[in-house]
Amino acid sequence: MAFNAKLRMIDDGVALITLSGELDGQAAADFKKQVEAAADKKPKRLILLMKDLEYMASAGLRVLIFAKQKMGNDLDMYIVSARDMVLETIKMTGFHHSVILLDEYDAAVLEKL
Amino acid sequence: MMLPSWRSSKEVHMDPLNVPGKLDSLERIAGYIKTAAVEADLDQKSAYRLRLAVDEVVTNIINHGYGRSRTGGMINVRAITDEKSLAIYIEDTAAPFNPLKIERPQNLQASMEERKEGGLGIFLARQNVDEFLYEYEDGRNRNILIMDRKV
Repeated sequence: MAFNAKLRMIDDGVALITLSGELDGQAAADFKKQVEAAADKKPKRLILLMKDLEYMASAGLRVLIFAKQKMGNDLDMYIVSARDMVLETIKMTGFHHSVILLDEYDAAVLEKL
Repeated sequence: MMLPSWRSSKEVHMDPLNVPGKLDSLERIAGYIKTAAVEADLDQKSAYRLRLAVDEVVTNIINHGYGRSRTGGMINVRAITDEKSLAIYIEDTAAPFNPLKIERPQNLQASMEERKEGGLGIFLARQNVDEFLYEYEDGRNRNILIMDRKV
């Protein structure tokens, strides 16, 4: 399925990017663009909703590194509803140490800083 | 392509795919791998892992192998199935590059700020297949990624 990354700013300071499709080395450029757009708003929290993300390669992980570097070390990064195999890749590469993994999107928790 | 003599003789060869070494070839290669996985009856997780490994190797060839060259090059992908496994042969004509010589990322536990990017793709490729072989022959890098068929 074709990759899509959609950015929505929630209030001040919370950026939500909804990912869908397959995030390979080519699609990563689109994801990076959304991260850059989010970075312009200087959020304190970045939420990545991965419910509809079917696949992610290391190129996707590299965008996560870029996001942290761009938005500062204080940034909270949440990965929500990652599918099994995407989660496997996140854990295999140790990225679960740098993000907060959630199974469900809980607006009460996520959308208020 | 010359096949090593240890390959079993009961093999099924898919027609190879020959595509430009550019990022927009990734989708076609993924399609080829998915077809090969179905024909070899790989379970869903194995199919995902194999696609990921191939994706990582090919992305590396595109970005690094051919990345700095003015002329670029082609990538040849071929699936060969036998009773025990599905093997994907990936060939390119970029400068010799042996992924098996790349160090495993030392800092998998490190925070993102400390993390070095290098080697992540190759690490994922090697972790996700049952066997990973490399040869250099006749001016071609040949990566061979093998998934066991769990029958």
